[in-house]
Amino acid sequence: MAETTSNTRPAAFRGKLSGIFSNPVTVKELRSRMRGRRAFVVLTLYLLVLSAAIIFVNLVYVSSGSYPGNTMTRTAGKGLFAAILGVQVLLVTFIGPAFTAAAVSGERERQTLDLLRTTLLSADAFVLGKLISSLSYILLLVVVSIPLQSIAFLLGGLSGVELILSQVLILIAAITYALYGLWCSAAMRSTLTATVATFSGTLFVTFGIPTIAFIGLLIFGSMGFMTGSSLTTSVEIALVYIGLALAATNLPATLLISEIFLLERDTLIGATETIVTRSLWLPSPWILFIIFHVAAAIIFYIAAVRRVRRVSDV
Amino acid sequence: MASIIELRELTKRYGDLTAVDDITLDIEEGAVFGFIGPNGAGKTTTMRILTTLLRPTSGEARVAGYSVMAAPRDVRRAIGFMPDFFGVYEDMKVWEYLDFFAACYDVPAAGRPGMIDDLLALVDLGHKRDAYVETLSRGMKQRLCLARTLAHDPQVLILDEPASGLDPRARIEMRELLRELQKMGKTIFFSSHILSEVADICTSIGIIENGRLVATGNVGDMMSRLRAHRSVVVRFVPSAGVDLAAVAAGLENEPGVLSAEVDAAMPSTLRLDFGDDDSELSALLARLVGHGLPVLTFSEERGDLEDVFLQVTQGAAD
Ligand SMILES: Nc1ncnc2c1ncn2[C@@H]1O[C@H](COP(=O)(O)OP(=O)(O)OP(=O)(O)O)[C@@H](O)[C@H]1O
Ligand SMILES: [Mg+2]
Repeated sequence: MAETTSNTRPAAFRGKLSGIFSNPVTVKELRSRMRGRRAFVVLTLYLLVLSAAIIFVNLVYVSSGSYPGNTMTRTAGKGLFAAILGVQVLLVTFIGPAFTAAAVSGERERQTLDLLRTTLLSADAFVLGKLISSLSYILLLVVVSIPLQSIAFLLGGLSGVELILSQVLILIAAITYALYGLWCSAAMRSTLTATVATFSGTLFVTFGIPTIAFIGLLIFGSMGFMTGSSLTTSVEIALVYIGLALAATNLPATLLISEIFLLERDTLIGATETIVTRSLWLPSPWILFIIFHVAAAIIFYIAAVRRVRRVSDV
Repeated sequence: MASIIELRELTKRYGDLTAVDDITLDIEEGAVFGFIGPNGAGKTTTMRILTTLLRPTSGEARVAGYSVMAAPRDVRRAIGFMPDFFGVYEDMKVWEYLDFFAACYDVPAAGRPGMIDDLLALVDLGHKRDAYVETLSRGMKQRLCLARTLAHDPQVLILDEPASGLDPRARIEMRELLRELQKMGKTIFFSSHILSEVADICTSIGIIENGRLVATGNVGDMMSRLRAHRSVVVRFVPSAGVDLAAVAAGLENEPGVLSAEVDAAMPSTLRLDFGDDDSELSALLARLVGHGLPVLTFSEERGDLEDVFLQVTQGAAD
């Protein structure tokens, strides 16, 4: 085949892209999942709930004779944005990983995995196919809510940067959490244990870490109070950075604090703050969040592929 | 002829249990090899090693010249595997099922629809093309799975108990199908624990017991092994009052007789374990009659492969 050897770069890229959507596993999963009424019903219900929230907000704030741009509608816009973001956070933190937690173990339990493992389908293609098919359902829900988000946008008080940043963070979290679920599914014998492990993990990063951080803060505070001495400057500075790093492991905290950086300091990247006596440069947590999560996603992906590829000893 | 499947001192241990014990085996291209053994003998374990699903403890397995551990992808390209138990996906139509697996075997999308129709026609499921897989009967699922193993036109089919759970009619259909596949030039390696079922379609068989390959060869060889130990039943006229024990003792020394004993279940009957030589058998009858013994019947009990099986595996049962 002489003509295929003159592969230009765009053609190779297109090949890769079409490879993602012609992945046998993706095609199979989406064919089954989108069949029948279930997908349609879920999508409709989801949009109805979101729309109801918008109408409610609209009735409360907007129809009281105000017009876009004033303080009332700005608050309404922000409220709407936050509400929809909250729903998206729940989707990517709990629903997405729930799909992937069954991806490999489910095949094993249904005794279909061995059939697949004797085909030429690579472990990479298998894991990628499972990831894309699980994510595409969740991302579909996220994407259909973007038009609703833009209503918040129209109400004012919301910048394009805020919207894009929040959606990028949601997307990265969705991929990382889904890969974590996939790895659990590949590493554990049953879907039940994989699901429990997946939820334990996402619950821990979402609620566990903030709780621990809060308790830690209380203990530190009371210690300083009891000894009567205030914390030394260097300890205080260290605490600020540790706090920022911890926030970057947590999707809601990252969304919130990055938003505060945007609103209060008018900066996307970071700001200089005065802590006690020294002025410090503090990065906006989303940067660290992306670094953490992309690294974790790569590790989970590689680990999941290895587990799937491994030739069994029993 | 070249061996397409080669096992060399293949061993698989699970802890203390040796599931496959030092098996060396060659299967020629185009053969239909019946891998026969009772439950727990190690058939599935051997097949899972051959299909790159399980790591052997030691030894080697090769398919079409490729080592299962060193070149698993080449092995997978060469084989179609039907496991003993397998699941099907819910929410999937019959043609989608085949399409999915064909895609997994890198069959180009353009060629798939025609190939799917051909495969469905081969396994007689053309009318079920748009049915959901989970609504098929057991026999249909089995045939669909067989069609699936052919999606990439492999040289070798590895089928783990392809007839299990099927009714007699479906078994016959499965057998016809295997014959058809042999005509298409496939090498078929399949397992069963029912010997008589497979004897007439196999070109060769191997008998496995407790992980050991206790006998192997072509079906004709197996039958002559049986003939080397044929059972001859001698019945005397019951009213003649023959001293059976004395006759049995005398017969032990006759040429060709391996052993002789009184048949406790039948009156006036002796049972002889006799060798391979037909003229010796004929001479023995002449001598019995010549001694004036009232022989009523003198017959060879026709054994079948089932007896080979029992004979070869009886040691393990003790
Ligand atoms: N994963 C495993 N762990 C431990 N022992 C195993 C495992 N798989 C099989 N065995 C043991 O290995 C031996 C051989 O099992 P195998 O499944 O290969 O037998 P088989 O010949 O296929 O039997 P059957 O006719 O019942 O299918 C059995 O004693 C079985 O208990
Ligand atoms: Mg078995």
